[in-house]
Parts: sequence; structure tokens; C-alpha cells
Amino acid sequence: MELTAQAIFTGLLMGGFYGLVAVGLALVFGTMKVINLAHGELVLLAAYIAYAVESQTGINPLLAMPIAMAVVIAASLITFYLTNKIKKDRELNSLILTFGLGIVLTNGLLMVFSADIYSTQSAWFMEGLVIADSLFSMRSEMLAFVVGLCALGGLYWWLNHTWHGRAIRSVSSNRDAAKLMGMNPTKAELWSWAIAGVLAALAGVMLYVTSVIHPPIGHSLTIKAFIITVLAGMGSIPGVLVGALMIGVIEGLTTTFFQSSLSELASMTVFLLVLLVMPSGLFGKKAGH
Amino acid sequence: MNIKISALMLGVMYLGVPFFLGDNDYLIGLVASALIIAGVAVAWALLGNLGGMVSFGHAAFFGVGAYTSAVLTMDYGVPVFVALVVGGVGASLSSIFMMPALRLRGPYFALAILAYAEIFKILATEATGLTGGAGGLLSIPSLPVFAGVDFGTKLGGYIVILNIVTLMLITYYFIRRSSYGLALKAMHDSELATRIVGVPATYLKVVMLLVSAFMTGAVGAFNAHYINFLEPDYAFSGTWTVFPIVAAIFGGYRTLSGPVLGALFIYLVDQLVFKNLIPQGHQLILGVMLAGMIILSPSGLLPVITNLFTRKKADNKRGEAQHA
Repeated sequence: MELTAQAIFTGLLMGGFYGLVAVGLALVFGTMKVINLAHGELVLLAAYIAYAVESQTGINPLLAMPIAMAVVIAASLITFYLTNKIKKDRELNSLILTFGLGIVLTNGLLMVFSADIYSTQSAWFMEGLVIADSLFSMRSEMLAFVVGLCALGGLYWWLNHTWHGRAIRSVSSNRDAAKLMGMNPTKAELWSWAIAGVLAALAGVMLYVTSVIHPPIGHSLTIKAFIITVLAGMGSIPGVLVGALMIGVIEGLTTTFFQSSLSELASMTVFLLVLLVMPSGLFGKKAGH
Repeated sequence: MNIKISALMLGVMYLGVPFFLGDNDYLIGLVASALIIAGVAVAWALLGNLGGMVSFGHAAFFGVGAYTSAVLTMDYGVPVFVALVVGGVGASLSSIFMMPALRLRGPYFALAILAYAEIFKILATEATGLTGGAGGLLSIPSLPVFAGVDFGTKLGGYIVILNIVTLMLITYYFIRRSSYGLALKAMHDSELATRIVGVPATYLKVVMLLVSAFMTGAVGAFNAHYINFLEPDYAFSGTWTVFPIVAAIFGGYRTLSGPVLGALFIYLVDQLVFKNLIPQGHQLILGVMLAGMIILSPSGLLPVITNLFTRKKADNKRGEAQHA
């Protein structure tokens, strides 16, 4: 019983972080119908920037956030610019394009940082934290969870209560109608890519302090992010949170009761089942086919 | 035009390459490896061009084909050439698990296939009894001596993979020319309209997936006997998806010979030039090429070059007409 509770707790914390990784992808998918297959690599880029700053200056990796954000927003906007250059069949060609950009980023990181595994040197993040006398976590895991929840909550508020946020929502629900109302859809899309960059940078720094980084994990982060996006249904932020927590708990339980190598198999299987039974996701309204 | 290019290409591959490179094991091995990529690229392009489906999961078919053939020859003593075909059949069978994904449209299909490929990789690593797990399978039998020719050599292997790719191209050519090809072409323009006039669209897509999986599996099986070693991370590696996609897009995935020429070019340039320039991360160039092609010329280089020639011809003719 205690083991189950601990597994679910760890899973929930993990899920909060997954939500942070996935929400940027979901946002862009919502506004532009483009699945950015380089999103996980953008997250990883931020993580490597945190590593570079920490190893060069010895300061707390969290302080690398401004640099990470600047670089990742720039990278995200370049991706947006290139995606906009696609002339025909953007839905499929953008998949291949961002897949290519992901390869460029992964190999670029491999060239600069080699295939070695890095993690933070700061011991503060590794210290234990006990909640309700029996649930254990690392400080960094709790931090990532809280940052994830705040980012999702903030984004939800921003989309619903600010002018730019509403512009993004109107473009994502009907691009032509938004244009007729005097909206500039390209500008709204630009905003969503920039915000996706901010979210990826947050996720990347959290990734670095909670876990270990090496080049191939960018790809698996992308896969996880779109699994959650599809589970959530198009552009639904509460859906992303629920989907991410679900994946986190499934992985936590599989790791505890079976083995960690099977955790990805479990989440992948759930993803396929949901996709086949409910092609529009758990919370989506539009049909996926 | 396309057929002429294909014929010329095959002529060079059958006569020119063995004649000039036949006694250089390193170079003939490189060309054979490029042809392995080419085989998968043709299978990928067949699914993309005829079936209208972009797949990020061909590594799964490649791996399943490789393991099927390796296990059959090692544990059950099946002759290698028979096992190559059964490897293809195995990959086709594995594609049946992916059939439900055919309900999904465009990008959803592409991503579902990617998830399937990951699942197959994990299963292969975990099913240690069958696949040897992460430790891998060693000393997989080489291609045998057949009709007095030793196909186990580098040159022999080259001839075998060349024949496999040629057979694939011929199959592709006839499918495209058949009434199925016409129906599939019509499906590109409007799947709904095609369904309404009575074309069994889903059935055709299923057949294309089976054919593409079979081809990829057979090539994967060949590779297993060619290098005599398998491990899950290698057999199901994303490389078997990345290289063929880049090759097919680069050469032009709507043409017959484009994926093959693309694979030869990409692989040889990568191995001979970029690998020496950038020892770690040389696949970066592949990503740049892929992204560049999609933006600048999504239909690939071959159609552009062909267009250039035909336009020149047309210009010449016009010039002659004016002189006369």
C-alpha cells in the first residue's frame, strides 16, 4: 500500500514535469496544426545551456534561465520561420522539416558537448523531501512539479484573460474568421511559438536539475510530448495536465511494480489505445480523422 | 524519361560498379550498405507516394525482418535465401498490428507508426529468449555458396542486394502501372471522391502497407546476414528510418529511381566526406539536407534535374522551329 502510494506520488511529480514539456508542443499544434518534432530537442538545448553555465561559472543552474530562454526562443522562432516557408502540404511536410531540425539539434549538441552524460553538481537539488511522513521526493522533483503547475496555470490564465492570449485562441479555433475580425494570424502564431520557446526553456532547466542529460533523450521527450498532446486533445491545457499526470502515474507504477525499461512501453500502449478508441483525444472536441 | 534513368542506373550498378570497384572490399561494401538504405528508401517512398502515408517507423519492419531471418537460420536451420523471404513475411505480419492506425489521417498516422516502432524496439530488447536481448545475436550465418558463386563475399553480397532492390523497383513499377496504381493516384487528389466511385481505399492502403513492410523486412534480413550480427538498438535504430527518409526526399520520393540515387548519394557522401570532417554528429548534415529539401524543393532533386533537361530540349526545339 505504502509502495503504491509512493509510486503514484512519484508519478504525479513526474507528470507535472511532463506537462511542462508537452504544453509548448500542444500550444503550437493548437494554433498552427504543426507538430513540432524538434520540441524535445529545444527542451534539451535549454538543459545543455544550464549545464554550460553551471560548469563554466559554478553558479546555480537556475540562474541560467535568462540565457536559456533567449536562445530557445530564438531557436523556436527560427523553426517557425522555416515552417512558414513550406509552400504546399504543410501538415505533413512540417513533420519532415521539424524531424530534420531535430536531427540537426541532436547532432549539434553531440558535436559540442560529446555523448557524455551530465547532471547538476549542486547537491541542494538532490536532497530529500518528506511529505505526510511517508512520501519521499527529491527537492528538484518537487520544484519541477511546482514550476510545471505554475506554468500551465499561468498559460491557461494568459490564454483566457489577455489580448494576445485570446488572439491565439481565436486563430486556433478559426483562422479565417479571426482574420476577418482584423486579427493578424501570423502574429498570433509568432506569439505561440515564442511562448512555446519560453516553456521549453523552463522545462529544459528543470530537466537538467532533476535528471541526467545526453543527446538522444531529446527525441524521447518529443515522443512523450506528442503522446500527451494527443491524449489531451487539440490545444486543451487542462487536458495536457490530466494527460501528463496520467502518463506520469502509469510510468511510476510500471517502474515500481515491473521494471523501468517497460515504463515507456506502458505509456506508448495507452497512447495507442486512446488514439484508436478516441481519435480526438480524451478532452478534444474535433475529430482527429 | 524516368524509366530511361532507372535503366541507365541499373546498367551502371550491374556492370560498372563490379568492374571498377569489384576488387576493393571497402568501397564495394560501402555501395552495398548504400543499397541497403536504398531498399528501405524505395519501400518508404512506395508507401508515401502510392499510399499517401508518411511513416516514421520503418525501422520496426527492418528490425523484425532482420530478427525473423536471423532466428530462423540459427535456431531452425532454414536456408538463408528462404529466410530472407520469410523475414519479409515476418515484417508484413508485424505491420498487421499497425493496421488500426490506418484509420488515422496524415500526421496522426505518422506519429502512431513512430510509437509502434518504439514498442517493437522495447519488445525486442525485453524478449531475451528470442532475440538474445541487449547482448545481441552473434555469428549469424552468412549468405551461402549458390550455383558455384560465393555470395558471402562483399561482392557477392553486393550482387544479392542489387538484385533485391531491382526486384523491388520492378514490383513498384508494375504496381504503379496497374489499375491499383491509378486508383491510388486518384486517392491522392481526393480520397472521398475515390471512395464514392467505388475504390476500396482502405483495402488499397492495407496492401501498400503490407508490400512496403515486406520489402523493408527483406532488406533488414539481408543486412543481418551481411554483417552477421544483431542487437535491438542496432536493428531497430532510428537510422533505418532517418537515412531512407532523407534519401527518398532528396532524390524525389515520387519517382522510381529517385530514392535509390538519393540513397547512394547521401550515404556515400556521408561516409566518405562528412564522417571524416565531423567524426561525431555527422548526421547533422542529413538534418540540414532534409530541412533544406523540404523548403526549397519538396519533390526532390531528380524531378528538378529532369525538368532542366526537358526544358532545354523544348527550348532547342523551339529554336530550331524558329530557324526553319
